[in-house]
Amino acid sequence: MKEGNNIIKYKEKIEQLTLQLNEAQETLDAIRTGQVDALVVQHNDGLKLYTLQTADHAYRVFIESMNEGAVSVNRDGIIVYCNATFAAMVHKPLSRIMGKPFIAFLTEKTIPIVENLFIKCWSRNCKAEACLLNKKEEIPVLLSLKTLKIEEHITLSIIVTNLSDLKKSQELLESKNCDLEESNKALEISNHDLQQFASVASHDLQEPLRKIYMFSDLLINNEMKSISPESKLYLEKIISSASRMKTLVVDMLNYSKLSSGNGVVTKVNLAHVIKEVKEDLELVIGEKKAVINSKKLPVIMCNKGQMRQVFQNIIYNALKFSRPNIPPEITISAKIIASNSWDSEEDKNGSYCIISIEDNGIGFDEKYAGNIFNLFERLNSKDAYEGAGIGLSITKKIIEKHCGKINAESQKDKGAKFNLLLPILNNKNI
Amino acid sequence: MHKLRILLVEDDADDRNFFSFFLKDREDLSLLAPLENGVGIIEALEKFKHSNNLPHLIILDQNMPVRTGLQTLQTIKEKACFAEIPVMMYSTYVTAELKKNSLRYGALHVIQKPCDKQGYYKMIDSFLEAVL
Repeated sequence: MKEGNNIIKYKEKIEQLTLQLNEAQETLDAIRTGQVDALVVQHNDGLKLYTLQTADHAYRVFIESMNEGAVSVNRDGIIVYCNATFAAMVHKPLSRIMGKPFIAFLTEKTIPIVENLFIKCWSRNCKAEACLLNKKEEIPVLLSLKTLKIEEHITLSIIVTNLSDLKKSQELLESKNCDLEESNKALEISNHDLQQFASVASHDLQEPLRKIYMFSDLLINNEMKSISPESKLYLEKIISSASRMKTLVVDMLNYSKLSSGNGVVTKVNLAHVIKEVKEDLELVIGEKKAVINSKKLPVIMCNKGQMRQVFQNIIYNALKFSRPNIPPEITISAKIIASNSWDSEEDKNGSYCIISIEDNGIGFDEKYAGNIFNLFERLNSKDAYEGAGIGLSITKKIIEKHCGKINAESQKDKGAKFNLLLPILNNKNI
Repeated sequence: MHKLRILLVEDDADDRNFFSFFLKDREDLSLLAPLENGVGIIEALEKFKHSNNLPHLIILDQNMPVRTGLQTLQTIKEKACFAEIPVMMYSTYVTAELKKNSLRYGALHVIQKPCDKQGYYKMIDSFLEAVL
């Protein structure tokens, strides 16, 4: 019987306490959300009034509702206050957070970091990354510690920033970077394969081509008596096709070589380049009775071999596309300009230059000015003018690799003018 | 007058034929029986030496099976008694790398395979000019 009475008594007691607890909880909530400005508390020596100032009030609401967790701990690292965000982070009711040591909510690994932090933070503000333990998962956080002294009591305020999203983005970024690296590697391999292919193709294709040429040539020259004039014509066509294909294969190889990027950049005097090109083209220049005038040309940072190819292509074109019975006249001039633009002002100390190569040949219709740099683009029939249509594409590619620009201006039968805009001090290897 | 003895090492039958076809008329040359690859080069040279018939010039094709022209060149240059024989490399397509390596291993010239009689004459004459 006595036990039964006790049970009833305890149940009543529990009910009473629950009521008190609810009341306290309501009061707490009211304070938290800013509904209460003043509290009257009964002490042993009578009633006492606690008021809250308006400024504090705003901060209180702010801290309670902000996205970061806010925690105050005492000298022993025991939590004396925390906001709802922190409670949500560790997935526990406030009643089970207050009065507990802060490190109880950390993963084991990060406890030493924070313990160390707690020692340092009393002398200066500090920050560190740690990991909160949540029922479901670990939450990476940034802890920002600051000590506050209020009326002789020192507390430590900790702002807890959730880094989950940041970490996720970081991980995503890392995995994307990894993917990118892999694609880059694959691209490099395929570029290398292409290079190999171009090299093998150009070599292996030249063997049979050379034989086609040689046997046809043998037929024409050694079997003259036994072949008809018609057969001779066909053989000549075979020979010219073979030699055109050879040009194509060699040019293609040169074009693909440009992509490999092993051009060393040095100081190059363009006047020397022109001199060398003239020597290379000596035969054609002599045949066509061409005159090449070159004005004062600058010294620029570039890859000499590639720049030589540029001038060789343009000058060779000027010689090739000359008007019948009119000796080609080619003028190469230069001006130093202030900025990287075609209409830039002339400036002796500028860091760019425009090199112009002008001829008096057959020229081309202005409307094709943009097309002529395309791969395999031809404006004239291949019967009248040999070539594979790769020369100017190579030229453009080289100029672009040198961070420069190229354009062409012309009118039909009035000569052509090619302009190169190049940086003078382009010192990266290409 | 001494005739210039030339040894060709060439795996391609057409090219061996072209070589003798275009150069057979030149009276200043004596064309030794060509080798089909570089594998037996030392044995062949030993034989020529025995009969006092060593070539004055060896012409090596680069692209040959089993042993390339470059490897054959090295074999010749490593053998002290044959190292002094001038060697010329030729190939359908001469890359900068082939040129560099050939000269480094002691070749006298590196040229593109000729396409006609004139080309073959020029190949031999360029050698004669270099040694005379």
